Amino acid sequence: MVTSIVIVGVGGQGVMTLARWLGRAAVAAGYDVKIAEVHGLSQRGGSVEVHVRIGERVYAPVVSEGDADYVVAMEAIEALRAFRYLKEEALFVVNKRIIQVPGKYVDPEQVYRALAVHKGLRLVPAFELALKIGDPIYENSVLLGYVAKLLRLDGFVDWLDEKNLRAFEEGRRLASAL
Amino acid sequence: MKHLLLGNEAIAYGALSAGVAVAAGYPGTPSSEIIETLLEFKDRKVYWASNEKTAVELAYGAALAGARALAAMKHVGLNVAADPFHSAAYTGVVGGLLIVTADDPHMWSSQNEQDTRWYGLQSYIPVLEPSEPQEAFKMAKDGLALSESLEHPVLLRSTTRVSHVRAPVVVEPPAPPKFGKFSRDVERYVLVPQNARRRRADVLRKWELLKDFSARFMSVEGEGDVTVVASGVGYLYAVEALERLGVKARIVKIGMSVPLSKKVVDVVTDEVVVVEEGDPVVETQLRVMGIKTKGKIDGFFPQSGELSLRAVVEGLSKALGLGVKLADPAKPTLQPPPRPPYLCPGCPHMGTFYALKLAGAGQKVVWSGDIGCYTLGINTGQQDLATHMGSSIGLGMGIALSDREKLVVATIGDSTFYHAALPQLIDLKTKKIPLVLVVMDNEYTAMTGGQPSPSRAVPAERLMEAIGIKHYVIDPVDVKRSVEVAKRAIAEAKSGEPVALISRRPCVLEALRAARRSGFKPPKYYVVSDRCRSCGICYNLLKCYAITKLPDGKAWIDPSLCNGCSMCAQVCPYDAIKPAEPDKVSKWLELWSQA
Ligand code: SF4
Ligand code: SF4
Repeated sequence: MVTSIVIVGVGGQGVMTLARWLGRAAVAAGYDVKIAEVHGLSQRGGSVEVHVRIGERVYAPVVSEGDADYVVAMEAIEALRAFRYLKEEALFVVNKRIIQVPGKYVDPEQVYRALAVHKGLRLVPAFELALKIGDPIYENSVLLGYVAKLLRLDGFVDWLDEKNLRAFEEGRRLASAL
Repeated sequence: MKHLLLGNEAIAYGALSAGVAVAAGYPGTPSSEIIETLLEFKDRKVYWASNEKTAVELAYGAALAGARALAAMKHVGLNVAADPFHSAAYTGVVGGLLIVTADDPHMWSSQNEQDTRWYGLQSYIPVLEPSEPQEAFKMAKDGLALSESLEHPVLLRSTTRVSHVRAPVVVEPPAPPKFGKFSRDVERYVLVPQNARRRRADVLRKWELLKDFSARFMSVEGEGDVTVVASGVGYLYAVEALERLGVKARIVKIGMSVPLSKKVVDVVTDEVVVVEEGDPVVETQLRVMGIKTKGKIDGFFPQSGELSLRAVVEGLSKALGLGVKLADPAKPTLQPPPRPPYLCPGCPHMGTFYALKLAGAGQKVVWSGDIGCYTLGINTGQQDLATHMGSSIGLGMGIALSDREKLVVATIGDSTFYHAALPQLIDLKTKKIPLVLVVMDNEYTAMTGGQPSPSRAVPAERLMEAIGIKHYVIDPVDVKRSVEVAKRAIAEAKSGEPVALISRRPCVLEALRAARRSGFKPPKYYVVSDRCRSCGICYNLLKCYAITKLPDGKAWIDPSLCNGCSMCAQVCPYDAIKPAEPDKVSKWLELWSQA
């Protein structure tokens, strides 16, 4: 059994960091893993997409459309773009945050409504929580905590610093409340 | 111990464990991390070369002198290095020579999709093709050893989904670097025709030998009525797709795809399905051997783009007559607007393009572009062509010779300039071709992650002086002066001589990195909303990515994106854009220019 995760966001948000954290935890838990930077890491502000596959033995490095068990979006417009990866029963974890596309203002409420068409949607206030902790950069730790809880992966805590750990725990707490 | 390594890092560690002593490359996605990784090892000679040809020559020369050497580049880079590459097969080597190319199917960041394995067939150089990072490690190591034992260069062909995949890899420790001594052998190393003809016979002999060697990199797995031949990342997709389809098959895994092992005919049945990334290189060789194939040639798998699990499941299903059709992916009810790549907020190229746009207004200009960050000048309509490294001046000269009505403005970044433009400068001068050459010097190879460019050691104006090309130096962040000078350059070029404009300011990302280390935060700019008249100059003409057009047409600056370059404040005709911390402005511009 292989678990397929697609992580998306906007360049500069730390999509790759999140993917690598997951990968490290998966290896620590004894799994095989493949992480593929599928799109856009060389430029700022563009769409970024990373695929993570975890299992006893992972072959294909890239997740196919309609094949993801989890889609994790660090930004909601990018979540719309990643819609095509969702399996019907997939969990769709979306950071409640919009980063506008220059020159093309979109209404956030419309985006959230469109995302809610997928019944496994989980809107997570990671950005808001991160701001409370003190810096938007903690949003990926919140999401990491959230996803780690869903995937029942441990082995993170020892290398997160105090604030990231706090963000991580907030994420876990949100996921356990499901 | 398992490390989570990128395929490219694994290649570097593989070469290190084989005692690589000399390595050189030119940065290019998806290959750059190979040299980046090797650069950490100070007991080796590792360089970023000014282009792929010099990189291959450095490694080739070292290998002639008995060293174990590596050259790395992206697929299109091998075109630049094709000349020494072909000769290397004729002279052979003494140490080991491993040439690594990272192909980019689907052209995620490239201008074409070429499959470098054809170069193997054409030059008689064997090609190893790993499927994942662990194998990339092993093949880099074995490839160097093989090269040395056969005295013949070896090509390691990776693709994006090997180079840029991170997976657990068990690495062996680096072996001490193996340097060597050059011994004279004129008949072998001087390829005058009579020597080359003798070497040709030798190359053909080696090629037959290699067809036997190739079997060592071939393995047969599983049992079944169906036989699938797969190479590279195609192997991974094939295994998983067969599992999905519930088909029992024999899989012939090809590790050396050029030349294909003669042994293939011993294991294949009358018909095989071929799964490979790129062109039908393995498939073509199988057909030459008289084997019936279903693969890319007859359209079972797509001829363009990357393989995917989906494409391989569907292709196998068709080839095996299973009639499996996958459901269409879900579509959202709201189409997200595209997020096209933009120049970074504060990018010096943004200022250069703005100045050129204003200076060229009302005139017939052909924007002759090139390959690099600045290809994004396409966003402001300032790239009419960009086809390969050096195309801006090269093609620009041809256009200027043909179309006398228009003025050619050729824009080229510093790294590309040193890579491909120096002989062109000489043509520009000797043929007196009137064009405006703009060297956009941000002092880094920024697109591939900020490798050093030669511009500091060899400033472009020195070359212009030496060759005798009239030139000006501008700072693109000084908008007013840049526009004035650009106007002057255009007027002078129109009167019939080539003029160069060197627009110099370091990459803003590199400056930010340096500022962060010293604890300095650049000032942010904001829009005074009631002064803004919605003219759109800042977001339409300057096109800073940090500036959003609000529903009422007014501008808004996202403070988390602004890098404080001040250009928007300079271009706003209504003085509506201000720095939040005015006292920091000049300090930042000063720090930045020294990055
Ligand atoms: S240039 Fe000035 S006036 Fe024009 S849209 Fe931008 S901020 Fe508003
Ligand atoms: S100062 Fe203006 S042009 Fe420069 S980065 Fe900030 S918003 Fe963009």
